[in-house]
Amino acid sequence: MKLLVTGASGFLGKYVVAEALSRGHSVRAMVRPGVDVGELPWDGHERLDYARVDLRSRRGLADAIAGVDAVLHVAAKTSGDVYAQMEGTVVATENLLVAMQDAGINRLILVSSFSVYEYLHRWSFATVNERSPLESRPLDRDAYTFSKLAQEQLARRFSDEHNWKLTVLRPGVIFGPGKTVNARLGMQTKDFWFTFTGWARVPLTYVEHCALAIVLAAETDAAAGESINVVDDNPPTQWGYISRVSKYLYPRPVPVPVPWMMLRALARTAVWTNRLVFKDKARLPSILVPCRQHARFKPLRYPNTRLRDVLGWTPRYTLEQALALCYGERPDAPDSGHSA
Amino acid sequence: MIERNSSRVLRVAAIGAGRISEEHLRFLSASPQAVLAAVCDLSSAMAEFAADRFNAESHYTDYKRMLTEVKPDVVHIMTPPHTHTTLIRDCLHADAHVIVEKPIAPSNAEFRELWELARSRGRALLEDHNARFSEPVLAIEKMIAQGRLGDVREVEVRLALPLAGPGSRYNDPNLPHPSHGLPAGALHEFMPHLCYLALRFLPPVDRVGAAWTKHGKSNLFKYDDLDCIVVAGDAHGRIRMTCYQAPDGFSIAVRGTKAWVETDLYHPCLRVVGPRPGGAQLMPLVNHLANGLAYVRASAVGFRNKIIQKNLYEGIHTFLHQTYTALREGTPLPVSFDDMDRSTRLLDDMLRKENQV
Repeated sequence: MKLLVTGASGFLGKYVVAEALSRGHSVRAMVRPGVDVGELPWDGHERLDYARVDLRSRRGLADAIAGVDAVLHVAAKTSGDVYAQMEGTVVATENLLVAMQDAGINRLILVSSFSVYEYLHRWSFATVNERSPLESRPLDRDAYTFSKLAQEQLARRFSDEHNWKLTVLRPGVIFGPGKTVNARLGMQTKDFWFTFTGWARVPLTYVEHCALAIVLAAETDAAAGESINVVDDNPPTQWGYISRVSKYLYPRPVPVPVPWMMLRALARTAVWTNRLVFKDKARLPSILVPCRQHARFKPLRYPNTRLRDVLGWTPRYTLEQALALCYGERPDAPDSGHSA
Repeated sequence: MIERNSSRVLRVAAIGAGRISEEHLRFLSASPQAVLAAVCDLSSAMAEFAADRFNAESHYTDYKRMLTEVKPDVVHIMTPPHTHTTLIRDCLHADAHVIVEKPIAPSNAEFRELWELARSRGRALLEDHNARFSEPVLAIEKMIAQGRLGDVREVEVRLALPLAGPGSRYNDPNLPHPSHGLPAGALHEFMPHLCYLALRFLPPVDRVGAAWTKHGKSNLFKYDDLDCIVVAGDAHGRIRMTCYQAPDGFSIAVRGTKAWVETDLYHPCLRVVGPRPGGAQLMPLVNHLANGLAYVRASAVGFRNKIIQKNLYEGIHTFLHQTYTALREGTPLPVSFDDMDRSTRLLDDMLRKENQV
């Protein structure tokens, strides 16, 4: 297949391109005009070409998309205010979808996020799967959740109108080299690591495993029309992950458990103070906003049944092996996974 | 002539749903003087987002269709600067009053053409001079009106913004900002603020000398620094803009024959130095004490503003409230022809060939 990968020079995009090439596909890597492609690990590959465009503009998109069989839409803005993320994620997706429509391309793999799910009103230890309710007040959560939900809705609208084959993948927390710590693990300072629900599982996916799922989705006809969560097998607890990753950190931060009930009580106090004193106008710290707090720390279950059943996905590495790779160590023999 | 109809709620349309539209739409969604009838943006997703968030009745991607179908009384234009002239013209031809983000036009001549069109069609045309309506500037105006500064002899307006720094949307080589196409490049977009603020306190301008320079290496920027001297009767003005000083600052200083006052719109607090009770001997001490108290008060207000997310764009709300009141009651608008004419003319003067270093 000829695959177009957007956001190809990004953290996940680099691995998606590598995975697609290793599985025998031809790849058009979409990168921004300012990217130094010589720095990219697969630069010069015989089955690779580049489309140097910025998705925030429609300029050059028609040429960039011509002749591809499927689009793997990885590009997204993950920081900035709601306007920056709307422009970098939603307007960018809209431009891409219009170009696909004009070019008659009907296969899209959209990389969304676990952030689109509702967390505040779920029971503790409930299961988060593809049928779980989506966040109904995304602007209260954060700009990222809002833009990813808007992006999904837009893609579904185009897909329904034009009878496309759309697969939405929702990765959990992607970790990989240079990105092993995330907001779901509590609050980290130089010396301490404050955890609030250390027993809660973290929906992690190693970046290579996530890239594999994305390429498998493009290869699998049965994935059309599906939404699939991407989480590695047996996600570790916060404490389990912290203890594994801490051995690579110096100085090793001291874990400090803080009661979850205490954090929730603090958030409730902050919310009521805001309501009574500031008429809900105050911007609270993220950790004291209940919907964000629950999205980060609530103990939930994260099965990956659809990922395995629909895509036939199996992970290549254990958590320990993946972490070793993140820190440049040679892992023990990897599990037998997919090959080209 | 603008007709008076103080009981009528004005139907308003917005063109452009990006970041700059946020405060306009926030005002419109809450104002009893106006109803937000439609939002238009080239991106359907952005138009829908803004319409949902600010309770607009409809949203469009084609502004001409919107003007025909919605027939708005007022249009807010909040698109990139290079589109303003065409949009203003089309909105005026659709018999709408126009409120436009700065800069209203690339030159004084083009502004005057637009103004003539607005006048001939009996419509209002206003550039958003929001900084003029911020609390510190209004306080300075009040002090001048009360004679506390004496006759104004010197005005300095200075803006420091890291436009050419890493992460700046003006310094993004992937998608060059449209403002780089203006006569003074990206700096041009900010010049109306500096011009109208300086001119607010200065008599008619006699002479202008400006040094437009480029210190950085970015190919995107035409200039990244301006140092301008204005001679206006017996008063002098200085207009400064730089991309290479930190932290961000937007300071205004007005010096008169009796006292002087300075403020910074990004760190609001009025510092007044002038005659105080206690005589000349104790003047420095009493000024220190008075300004110390002002800083303490400003810290408390700043803390409150930070918590309740009151930002430096609060002047937009005052400007729009006064504009809508004037439109409904047929009273003078808060930004006049003279305000915009002087401001665009000063920028033209600053950009003359001899001023380009």
